[in-house]
Amino acid sequence: MQTEPLIAASGLALGYGAGPPVVTDVGFELHPGERLALLGPNGGGKTTILRALLGQLPARAGSLHVGVSCGSVPQTERSRLDYPVSALEVAAMGALSRLPWWKRPGREAREQARRALARVGLEEFGETTFGQLSGGQRQRVLIARALVQDALVLLMDEPFTGLDRPAAERLEVLIADLAAEGHGIVMATHDLEQARRWDSVLCVNRRQIAVGPPAQALDLPVLEATYGGAIVELPGGGGRAVLPAQHHHH
Amino acid sequence: MFEPLTEPFMQRAIVEMTLLALAGGALGCWVVLYELSYAAESLAHSLFPGLVIAAIAGIPLLLGATPAVVLAALAIAVASRLPGVGRDVGVAVVVTTMFGLGVLLALSPDSPPGVEALLFGDILGPSDGDIAAAAALVLLVAVALPLLHGRLLATGFDRDAARALGLSPAFADAALLVLLAAATVVAVQGLGNLLVVAVFVGPAATARNLTDRIGPMIAVAAAVAVLAGLAGLYLSYYAGTAGGASVALAIVALYLLSLPLGLRGTDGGRLSPAGGYDH
Amino acid sequence: MQRGLVEVLILAVPAGLLGTWIVLRGLAFFSHSVGTAAFPGLVLADGLGFAAPLGALAAALVFTAGNAALGRGRERERDSVVALVLVGCLAAGVILASDVFGSGANVETLLFGSLLLVDDADIRLAAIAAVATLLVSALAGQRWLAQGFDPEGGPVSRRQTLALDAALLGLIALATTATLSVVGTLLVASLFVVPAATARLFTERMLSWQLASVVLVALEGTAGLWLSVKTDAPPGATIACVAGAVFTLVALLRAVLARAPRGSAAVLAATLGLALLVSGCGNSGADADGRLAVVATTTQIGDWVSEVGGDAVAVDQVLQPNTDPHDYEPRPSDVAAAADAKLVFANGDNLDRWIDQIVSDSGSDAELIDLGADVPERLPGESSGEEASRYDPHWWHDPRNAAAAVREIARRLSAADPSHRRLFQSNAREYLRRLGRLEAGIASCFDQVPVAQRKLVTDHDAFGYFARRFGIDVVGAVIPSQTTQAQPSAKDVSELIDLIEREGVKAVFPESSLSAKVADAIARQTGASADYVLYGDTLGPADSDGATYLQMEAANAEAMVRGFSDGRLGCRLSP
Repeated sequence: MQTEPLIAASGLALGYGAGPPVVTDVGFELHPGERLALLGPNGGGKTTILRALLGQLPARAGSLHVGVSCGSVPQTERSRLDYPVSALEVAAMGALSRLPWWKRPGREAREQARRALARVGLEEFGETTFGQLSGGQRQRVLIARALVQDALVLLMDEPFTGLDRPAAERLEVLIADLAAEGHGIVMATHDLEQARRWDSVLCVNRRQIAVGPPAQALDLPVLEATYGGAIVELPGGGGRAVLPAQHHHH
Repeated sequence: MFEPLTEPFMQRAIVEMTLLALAGGALGCWVVLYELSYAAESLAHSLFPGLVIAAIAGIPLLLGATPAVVLAALAIAVASRLPGVGRDVGVAVVVTTMFGLGVLLALSPDSPPGVEALLFGDILGPSDGDIAAAAALVLLVAVALPLLHGRLLATGFDRDAARALGLSPAFADAALLVLLAAATVVAVQGLGNLLVVAVFVGPAATARNLTDRIGPMIAVAAAVAVLAGLAGLYLSYYAGTAGGASVALAIVALYLLSLPLGLRGTDGGRLSPAGGYDH
Repeated sequence: MQRGLVEVLILAVPAGLLGTWIVLRGLAFFSHSVGTAAFPGLVLADGLGFAAPLGALAAALVFTAGNAALGRGRERERDSVVALVLVGCLAAGVILASDVFGSGANVETLLFGSLLLVDDADIRLAAIAAVATLLVSALAGQRWLAQGFDPEGGPVSRRQTLALDAALLGLIALATTATLSVVGTLLVASLFVVPAATARLFTERMLSWQLASVVLVALEGTAGLWLSVKTDAPPGATIACVAGAVFTLVALLRAVLARAPRGSAAVLAATLGLALLVSGCGNSGADADGRLAVVATTTQIGDWVSEVGGDAVAVDQVLQPNTDPHDYEPRPSDVAAAADAKLVFANGDNLDRWIDQIVSDSGSDAELIDLGADVPERLPGESSGEEASRYDPHWWHDPRNAAAAVREIARRLSAADPSHRRLFQSNAREYLRRLGRLEAGIASCFDQVPVAQRKLVTDHDAFGYFARRFGIDVVGAVIPSQTTQAQPSAKDVSELIDLIEREGVKAVFPESSLSAKVADAIARQTGASADYVLYGDTLGPADSDGATYLQMEAANAEAMVRGFSDGRLGCRLSP
């Protein structure tokens, strides 16, 4: 069944200030329940696309239609871990986007935040200071915030970075559950293996290289164009992997 | 055009201004990259208790001022490492306390008159000592900056990565602050408070709009500072506007002129040091 | 004092609440600068004649808007932008003050304020700031928190972000400028930043942090005021030291709790430091013990009152030797002395206008006598600016005026304490005799100097009266203003140098309480001497050759005669 897409982009070009465009030719649709992986090297334009979806960056060319509210789930390494807030307060921040400016989030917002924390499996951590949570827990708190925001689309910027295996598996299950409930998910990543398990993949390296289900989109030429690096065959039939030319985190 | 150059007092003012512009412009690049503008503006106030103590003890004022301001610089480096505090707040805490202490010390009957006048120098009347100190400062900056260059750059670019490289971010911070403190002691007597911050921040911020590499940035900043100093002194000579304020206005004007030429995108990812928050 | 306490307690609300946002959002530099940037507003208000707080607020808002405009998209350079906008504002203010209005509202009045000079308008402003802060933080607090947590992708929309930033910066601007006259920009941080930073060290949540900050401001403010009364130190500086000491103590305590063994020594050191700070400076006010209690504002008036009053009068002199009366911060003992005093003698002509407030704040019923109002010889004063007055306030440099003032002092003392009337009258007669002898001596000294050589160049225009009395031609001044605060331009200096060379001026006279750099530079270029120092606005300390009014005038005459004559002539008078 083909539904009305949550997000539709075609021929999109994006850039900052007067500088050259960062990424061009972006075109895709995101449907309810769909998990889309943005795959590409650092500097390839993943974060820029996420920003445009959040409405922070106007289209240079082409069209972008975002019909629903998007909730941002940023990298928690970038948020300030010394911030004086509890997990519950962070989740409750989501209510701010729905309230008119003269209203403070009230009891129902806190109630909703508590439910959202329970939904992501953190009901007993509501009063813990955000900075004291583990990386995976922080990601889930930010997802709870997006849920409180009533976001139908979650925009996630490399949410698995720095997580250990159990935390990553737990997060992946949560994301799958949310998708099953009808949320659209857009996730920036450079983890090729994980992208293979998602509903669709958008490969980008300063321009869109391919989009579609992983099985169709992720072939060797596309990967080479995406990463420009060496493609190696993993032993034991584990599939191909890419050794990016440079690979570092902040 | 050359008339001001024939007046000895203008020659001296130009020499002093040029020396301080060279040092201030070059050092200012690191001040701007490390977001130390507040420290550059306020360190001069923390001279105060040192000046008073030196005056009471009857030792040369510079000898008292230097330890006070270096102490303040180190205290800022320590305070900004406290969680939740950050560098700006560290500056506020340290400088306010030092200044308050200075005011209290100055109540002592032994405290000589007009000590605080030293915080308000005048560019039009530099003494021989001022010029010698400015020359020494240029020398210090010319030696210290190349020595520290690698560390400052690595730490400013990415603190965590610098730590992984075996460099100590705390050392880079402290070294830069101490250098800034030394420059403040010298510059404040020639320029006064107002001009010190203008020379440290303005030319470097201008240069940052015009270049995207640290090497050229330092050269451009020093050149901009010298140019603004000359322009300000000429303005003061021909238009009759207050000396120090004219130089400050010239610096701000050059910065505003450089804005449309800004090469950078919206959020200046380049050359950006990590902020003042250590975890 | 009560009003100071009320003011601090009201200020605790905006200072504590805004302090948490200032620390959280890294706005310490902004909050420090916005008050200083009010300077051009004050100059304009003085020059054009509208209310000073209005000018300050307008300038602070311009500063805020300038920061918002230039700072957009420059998150990482916000500090540089603050510094540059601040420099622009200050430079504009200095030029307006020195070159447009030709006189000085001075930067230093902004740097210092005093909790001892709180009037009802200050308390009203503080209350307005408190109410505004409470209202706006209640509305916007949650959003400020969310915005600071996640400035980019958070749930607060872009448009709201702008409005929220404007509200926060505007509120800080309002609160700090409203409290400027009370705290001064240099110590604003001791109320608005340091307590909040201290509270941050032991709180984990916004609400507890805010409560702790408000309480801490109130406690530190009260303790600082109390200490300042005990030690007779200015309250602002005392509060700053208390706040800094508490911060250090809490930071060390935290370190101790984290690493127990090393700690006790650190706590000991911090406690010792605190104790040292507290015991720092002691000074007691005049003790009247039955004598007539009198307050004198300036050093020369204090000298006259002591001479005339002798042992029958207890004089509390507000200004100490070698302080510039143009910028002065009162101490608790001054207020206490004013409270007990029967008479308060002032110079008038705006030189010591802070005395009005000291007298009214002390609740004293003392009679305030403006000695300058009745002196016979008058010269026109500054036409505009903070120290604008009809007459040049340096009237004491004409001995005829001094004589009139001494007679007035004797008359007032006699009226207040008729039992010592004969003592006062005979003391005054004796003093007037010495004054007359000195005046004649100075006149004959100057008679030795050819009229063409009596050409005076000083630091600032303080010697108009002296020059007129003794036939001296005032050629110019390095600071072409009766206040000490204006800044000369290169053109002024160049013209003065030409004038000195053309007129054959032999000496430039710096003043004892001012730094003499520009005078030295002029002397260096013209070959004139800058070695002879004059006593201008204040007497010298007890062991100097200008410790009394008579010595000051004699020393000035000696310095001028030597300067005019290249050191060939002298004028040794023993007053």
